[in-house]
Amino acid sequence: MTAAAAAAAATATAVTTVLAVELEVERRDVTVQAGFELEEGQRLALFGTSGAGKTTILESIAGLVRLSRGTVRVDGRLVAGSANGESPLPPRNRGVALVRQPTTLFPHLTVEQNVAYGIRHSPSHSRVADLLDRLGLTALARARGAALSGGQRQRVALGRALASPFRVLLLDEPLSAVDVAARSGLRELTIEMADDRGAAGVLVTHDLTEAQAFGGQLGIIDGGLLLQVGGAHEVALSPASRRVAELVGYGGFVPVPSDPSRWYAIHPDRVLLGARSEHGLVLTGTILSTRAFGPRYECAVGLSSGEQFTVHVDEAPGVGVECDVTALNPPVVGAEETTAR
Amino acid sequence: MTTNTPAGSLAATGVVPGFPAAARIVARGSTALALLGALVIWLALLGPFAVLIRHLSFHSIRAALGPPGALDPLWVSLGASAVALGVMVLLGTPLAYLLARGRLPLARLVELGIILPLMLPPLVIGLLLIFLIGPEGTLGNLLADIHLTGTNTFFALIVAEFYEAAPFYVLGAHAAFSSVDPRIEQDATLLGDRPLQAFRRITLPLAAPGLATGLATAWARAMGAFGAVIIVAYYPRGLPNQIFIAFQEFGLSGALPFALLLVVAALPLPVLAYLWSARARSRIAGVEK
Repeated sequence: MTAAAAAAAATATAVTTVLAVELEVERRDVTVQAGFELEEGQRLALFGTSGAGKTTILESIAGLVRLSRGTVRVDGRLVAGSANGESPLPPRNRGVALVRQPTTLFPHLTVEQNVAYGIRHSPSHSRVADLLDRLGLTALARARGAALSGGQRQRVALGRALASPFRVLLLDEPLSAVDVAARSGLRELTIEMADDRGAAGVLVTHDLTEAQAFGGQLGIIDGGLLLQVGGAHEVALSPASRRVAELVGYGGFVPVPSDPSRWYAIHPDRVLLGARSEHGLVLTGTILSTRAFGPRYECAVGLSSGEQFTVHVDEAPGVGVECDVTALNPPVVGAEETTAR
Repeated sequence: MTTNTPAGSLAATGVVPGFPAAARIVARGSTALALLGALVIWLALLGPFAVLIRHLSFHSIRAALGPPGALDPLWVSLGASAVALGVMVLLGTPLAYLLARGRLPLARLVELGIILPLMLPPLVIGLLLIFLIGPEGTLGNLLADIHLTGTNTFFALIVAEFYEAAPFYVLGAHAAFSSVDPRIEQDATLLGDRPLQAFRRITLPLAAPGLATGLATAWARAMGAFGAVIIVAYYPRGLPNQIFIAFQEFGLSGALPFALLLVVAALPLPVLAYLWSARARSRIAGVEK
């Protein structure tokens, strides 16, 4: 059996690798490529703009999209692609749970039936009831999908995935319609249940803070390519290229005097008013505009060289005032990736 | 009256900004037109039923249906339609499903083949069927080997009814399956279902209202099939043939009791299917818990 041999070989080389992805998918508009491995309990959040290929990657990992190249393996067993005549597992044996965006529930079944759908052996009523309780769905247990709000539907879809015996949890914007106040609880529940199973998790989102809150690694996707993978804070502080910097929120790019092909990347939240050269790069500019930004202010700053960027500050200088600002240890980025993966 | 429609109530309360008077006129006008349309359609469709009931006397019904053997055409029609429907469900359901999922090679061509019997006049179908399965026909010779005759037999009646009715079921089932999001079938398989399990637990219940409507329409068409039937299967005499023959021999009064019989036999299933599917649809849509 080639499948068994491959599985044995995979377990021999990497005991705890749950998910191994090396794939390429030709889409009409873009070629989507991704490569990464996740061990037991590891999580990866993929962050990018819409159309970047995030959903395609998730559906490919679930084996629902034809790969033009590469393979996806769960616990060493082939789930997508083809290798040496080995054919992918049928969907029911892949150990993959997928929460889609937009949410897909079974509309003719109740909330309870939806959540319990993937429980095969000994469908314990108390276990489902417990999960419904933690999802805040107890009162809706007998309601059908069409009667639910967007946020409630997402809770049901999440619960249905969490109740199934998964090894890999794939989440496509799972909490986008859930009230912000309820998100952290659901996130904790998700992480706890994934960890209990020793599962790997992949989240895709266009919300950077959501991606960071998922814990684990952060991957930046753009134009179908995985531009950078790293720690959630590391990627935000040290973007590998100007494009990554733009995606994670850097709004200003000031050329490095010694190397005009590279820029200091200025993040609006990593700026202090005043000259504090011990903390970073001091720039002198003019306040072009000021507006309220939550409890703080957002000011547009123009440099004499023509560059503009925004800063978030506690006290707003008047428009037209010339002032010094300090960019806190700004990363230096080039047009291309500096730490290619 | 007009305030029942959302447009009407908006206009009546003057909430619609801009042209409240014009909006009210448009809302009232369109409601009136809709009611008129409903009236015309009901008259056109239900008028004949009223006439049928009015022109029937208990005496004439007993005279026509009383004699021994008078109900034979009913049993023939019921039997042939049931078999035709069975074959339709058995062959048409997988076909419709694969068409709806785009998993069939030359799908357009297959679809055209399904629609063609709808476009051809039934009489012409009947003539062509004689060439195909009649004693002199290509398939007719093969059928003879298994002791089946393609003209004036129960088998021929089933084939003719099948031709007239099957497209309605396959097209209805196609639409019903197309309305089920293939992604939720995938979800069911990822949650542990085998493909057939997912079909039974997810696809079938969701497509059931549409399947029921298609099946009901096909049943009504099969029971009432006449054009192809009278050419290929004058005998055994089904109800439509019986109506035609009674009409020719005894005029309206002789034919109407059989017409009533046909309506009574053919209609309950479609009506029940319609009522059930309307309820099932609203249940799926969450209107009713």
